Amino acid sequence: MTAAPVIALFPEASFGSALNCVGIAQQLQRVGAVPVFLCHAGFTGIFAEYGFKEYHLPTDSTNSQQSEETWQAFVTTHLEHFNHDPMEQLTSYVAPTWEAIVDTVIQAEAGLETLIRRIKPDAIVLDNVIMFPAIANAGVPWIRVVSCAETEIPDPNVPPYLSGMAADDPARPTFEAAYLAKTNPAHRRYNRFRRSRGLTPLPPGQFLEISDHLNLLLAPSAICYDRAYPLPVDRFVFLEGCVREEARFDPPSLPVNEGPIVYLSFGSLGAIDTDLISRMIEIFATLPARFFVNVGGFLESYQRVPDNVHLGSWFPQPSIVAQADLFVHHGGNNSYCEALHFGVPSLIMPYCWDGHDNASRAAQTGTGRHMDRTDWTPKKLSSAVMDLISDQNMSKRLKEISVKMASQPGAAKAADQIMRKLK
Amino acid sequence: MIRPRSNTRQNHLKLARQIVEIVLERGLREGDHLPETVLSEACGVSRTPIRSALKILEVNNIVLRREEEGFFLNMKPELVTADGSSQLEDIEESLAERILSDRAERRIADVQSVSALVRRYGAPRSAVLNALKILSSDGIVTQLPGRAWAFQPILDTPNALAESLAFRLTLEPQAILAPGFSMDSQKVGMMRQQMKDFLRRSDGSMSSVAFLRLDCAFHSFIAESSGNRFACGALSAHQRLRLTTQKDHSIPDFRLRQSLEEHLDILDSLERMQLQLAADQMVLHLRRSQIRRPKAANRGILPLTPGAVA
Repeated sequence: MTAAPVIALFPEASFGSALNCVGIAQQLQRVGAVPVFLCHAGFTGIFAEYGFKEYHLPTDSTNSQQSEETWQAFVTTHLEHFNHDPMEQLTSYVAPTWEAIVDTVIQAEAGLETLIRRIKPDAIVLDNVIMFPAIANAGVPWIRVVSCAETEIPDPNVPPYLSGMAADDPARPTFEAAYLAKTNPAHRRYNRFRRSRGLTPLPPGQFLEISDHLNLLLAPSAICYDRAYPLPVDRFVFLEGCVREEARFDPPSLPVNEGPIVYLSFGSLGAIDTDLISRMIEIFATLPARFFVNVGGFLESYQRVPDNVHLGSWFPQPSIVAQADLFVHHGGNNSYCEALHFGVPSLIMPYCWDGHDNASRAAQTGTGRHMDRTDWTPKKLSSAVMDLISDQNMSKRLKEISVKMASQPGAAKAADQIMRKLK
Repeated sequence: MIRPRSNTRQNHLKLARQIVEIVLERGLREGDHLPETVLSEACGVSRTPIRSALKILEVNNIVLRREEEGFFLNMKPELVTADGSSQLEDIEESLAERILSDRAERRIADVQSVSALVRRYGAPRSAVLNALKILSSDGIVTQLPGRAWAFQPILDTPNALAESLAFRLTLEPQAILAPGFSMDSQKVGMMRQQMKDFLRRSDGSMSSVAFLRLDCAFHSFIAESSGNRFACGALSAHQRLRLTTQKDHSIPDFRLRQSLEEHLDILDSLERMQLQLAADQMVLHLRRSQIRRPKAANRGILPLTPGAVA
């Protein structure tokens, strides 16, 4: 009897990727594989609570105080940068973030190599924006999950990655040149590291190669681009979302318990902007709807919550999105795909990275609206919320998208494709 | 022995709401029979309070009583959700519960004057004072010198939840190990049945509210069975606080199941009088129940490891 194949999933350290991989792991388990997770110690217990074994990357545990200081420094430095436009962010946010990502790859390498030797997986699923050489060198098929929007895989008909532009924007060459220039120092350092680990260097601007085995894109057909150079179908599979199975959410009864449901979540990082969320809550208090707001670990920053607003430090997102009439989010790929999966309009207020790309795409495809974080007014926010809730045309279109996505469950398709690569 | 505050009317109203939930969860239809024995087992109480709860539902036209036959569902389940349970809410939500709920939701500040509460709830001063006295008897509010009332810590934030678990980790194993631990075997049987019923539900249909009720009932039962009266008093009060103020919708179905199976394992050990083993299992259970969410994370910045933030 052949042993069940062990599939190691290695999501990047963000909830979007982590929970996206949970969706795939649930389906892999269903088809007889043994999914296990490679993760940072900061994710201890997250995967175990879904019933999966976790292997933690060894931490440089100089002390936890240092870890907190690093985090605080990050928040202090970057909070204002989230108000910059995509071009400005290349300097203020994107370039330093790539430097930090390269640091994490270098730090993780030895520990990751040891873990992979110990687990002996039959395949590795990498949901990240950068290659970890230990994975490329593991000697087993590796599967790339394209973590971000479709813009992560370039094409002349696809807008430049992280630009928030249209594909034919006249400023495209300027943005692309600036991107290459700003990421160059991190890229050169990364390529040196790759060479030291026996990998070939990557072209400028690229930090992760296409997998020779399988590449999964979380880009439902409703928002896909018509590529000038179609991606080879034997190696690229587009998923109609990748929604995990989650606990049931029963919306609590609010003192003012009438009206449509609006869910707001700005992702793992967006909750730090308590000032923005507080100002939005003040407007929500004036609207005829119920608002469920994910404030992450910052619940204690809020007082005098209005009677039509409920704050939570965590929501089982698929369950609440399924019941919502509007999803206000930051344009994270997971959030956007969940909104599409359940046929819910998106009001996207991006703060960085591919949030800009998804916000533009939502507006282009009639699946939502883009609103700037900095220049909104109470009137503009109120109108956006109420218009999106009552937009019958958008609602009809989204319901059609939802039906199509539900008929082709992305997580199950991903699991099926991964298993085929083992044969 | 210290006993929980007796509030018969409130308990019957809570039971009535629980019966409505059972009707919805089991997919009953209009006209279906609601046998008292089945409800008694499902709710883990005797038939007498079930009958009182059914009478409340009868007054609200949610159930119909037929002589010699018992109680029957008197409306379509979807109407029970839309009308019946909200009607019931109106009756059930005493002022004390509304005040506590609003505090837990951070709608009102932690120090309140009676006149501010009179204004918010449009209730007579005497009713507000009565509600505050009820909350005071559970140790949820205390009167400050002067006219203000202050809320004590409640389980409304991730940090408060972590502190609650730390408190329980200290005391619950000791409640089991204290000399004189003794369980009501009939209640054990009913509790087991409720947990097994819950475990039979399919993924995606396990309500976190129903789980919290079961969880609090189990841990309250352990407290009440303790031979140490002070441990019993402190833990029972804490479980009441959990039931009224803890709102955690974050537990995946796998962990809900695992948690209930841990309850059943603990009951197994207790029935065999393997108290040390049960106490160890309780430690394991509580440690596993710690809600673990990374503080925050983003590309290039790793999440803080547990314990990095106080």
